[in-house]
Amino acid sequence: MEIAVSVIADTILITLVLALAAFGLAIIYGLIGVINMGHGAMLTLGAYFTWWLTQHGLPFVPGVLLAAAAVGAVGLLFEHFIIRHFYDRPFDTLLLTWAFFLVATEVIKIVFGTDFRNVASPFAGAVDLGIYRVPAYKTVIAGLSILVILGTAVVFFKTTLGIKIRAMIQNRDMASLLGLNIAAMYKLVFGFGAFMAGLAGGLIAPMFSVDPYMGNTFLVRSFFVVIVGGIGQLLAGTLFGSFAIGGLETVLALFSDQVVAQIAVFFIAVIVLRFRPQGVFSGR
Amino acid sequence: MTADVTQSAATSWRHLAAGLRREDLAALIVFAVLAAIPLAVSGYVVFILPQYMLFGILALSLALLWGHAGIVSFGQAAFFAVGAYAMGLVMKHAALPINSAYVGILVGAAGGAAVALITGYFLFSAGVRATYFVVATLALSIIVEQTVKSFSNVTGGWNGLYVDRMTLTLGPLFELSLFDDAPMYYVILVIVLPAYVGVVALMRSRFGKIIVGIRENEDRMLALGFDVPLYKTLVFGLSGLLAGLAGALYATHANFAHPSNAGVLFSTQVVIWTAIGGRHSLLGAFVGAIVVASLSNYLNAVTPQYWQLLQGLVFIAVVIAFRRGLAGLAETLFGSRGRDRKRHGNAA
Repeated sequence: MEIAVSVIADTILITLVLALAAFGLAIIYGLIGVINMGHGAMLTLGAYFTWWLTQHGLPFVPGVLLAAAAVGAVGLLFEHFIIRHFYDRPFDTLLLTWAFFLVATEVIKIVFGTDFRNVASPFAGAVDLGIYRVPAYKTVIAGLSILVILGTAVVFFKTTLGIKIRAMIQNRDMASLLGLNIAAMYKLVFGFGAFMAGLAGGLIAPMFSVDPYMGNTFLVRSFFVVIVGGIGQLLAGTLFGSFAIGGLETVLALFSDQVVAQIAVFFIAVIVLRFRPQGVFSGR
Repeated sequence: MTADVTQSAATSWRHLAAGLRREDLAALIVFAVLAAIPLAVSGYVVFILPQYMLFGILALSLALLWGHAGIVSFGQAAFFAVGAYAMGLVMKHAALPINSAYVGILVGAAGGAAVALITGYFLFSAGVRATYFVVATLALSIIVEQTVKSFSNVTGGWNGLYVDRMTLTLGPLFELSLFDDAPMYYVILVIVLPAYVGVVALMRSRFGKIIVGIRENEDRMLALGFDVPLYKTLVFGLSGLLAGLAGALYATHANFAHPSNAGVLFSTQVVIWTAIGGRHSLLGAFVGAIVVASLSNYLNAVTPQYWQLLQGLVFIAVVIAFRRGLAGLAETLFGSRGRDRKRHGNAA
């Protein structure tokens, strides 16, 4: 019983944290088809900015928001000067975003050093579920993850901007002919994806120690979240993919050690990729 | 009669000369320089350069895929590591009547090829391509890296696996320890040279033309009746074979096989070497790896922080503006543009 409750609680928390971490990638990959290999570096940047701002006396919440905005701004600059010229060449955007990772990681090392940094958790302690105690901060993050995804869903399905974005995905040329400013929408989507990556990085910073490669752990798992969930299936897909990757890892880790569980999950993800390249969740 | 023979000899000579391209001349110079280096200098350069030649073969294995077949792989390090660990494990455990290093090299190359063939067939037969394939190969790197990390009682885990320097033997008659750097250098050069020549020759054969055809228009090749997944699997397997061979030799040269040989960072380093050297040119990729790895070694000592940054910026510049890399630069400088440009003109 205790194990069951703890596994369920852990699975839910891991699913939601992973969904938050993968969301920025899912937005950029799903809406404008860019494989953002720089996603991990954007998470790391968000964590470092948050660390720096809180070190300089800013409270955690405005610190994270400011950090996310800064990463969004970096993303916009990168899009404006480089990525936007390569939208029709997916391999090149992949290479360029990887180059972004390389450059950003080196800049982080030069500016912030390579030591491990810690961001103090704003909510210490735990939530008592009777038989099992869940860390309070993780629970707050899980709640935020749901809020962020629901908020994006509302924008996507209930606002004019959402209609425009959906029109753009369905038929880019037609949407452009009808007067939508496609270039601006791409920029907006890329910037928002970078903002989300920065936000996720800042929010997960108190859970891990911050180092220049912290985003890498999430990069490949985020890809699998997106692929297993289905590209373009932003909301349900991201949640389902996170559940599949994070949940499986938690459950498999019960029977074997963590690393073997991760290997098994990657194997399963590659098999899914072969048999359901549209994602498990996609109707096609 | 005699005139006929002379004439046909002359014709075949002319054919041969026409078949040789400027790139072959460049290759001749490169390998001549590589062969001469241990005569001119000694010490660290002679020790380290064979490793960079093996990196060159690794880059070549990617250029074969990327430039010729239009397949980008972020998993070359996985095959390299399979070769390296196979070499180490065979040399450590196998009690064989013949030289275990020879078996290790064969097992390493075959292991790299086998992993590539299985992965390739599994993915290509379902039509997995483009960016999906990249992500799958990325996962392959991580799977191999995590595997060698976690089965530490076999692979040494984080500490890596110690591998002996191999000994060259020829039956009971001849035995030469490769503990010294110069003999090892030449042994590796003697393996690297035919590997390069073999791949170049294969890419000029019918097989190579079919591969390039698939890059240019996969659907048309399919419509013409070619078994596209099979050809892609074969070229991927060949690439795995080369990477596995390079890994096996690297392990015995460096005395070491390490999980980072399989990692994502090393895999992407191969991508950078190949891009900077020139993805369309096998020689360019080979030389690119040697040049970038040498520079990296040198600048890492001088300015460790800024070298990585510089490499990232150069990589961006290559992707944006110099898509043909060093090979393209050499072509512009030495002006063999016309023919070669036509051949590569529309390549992606």
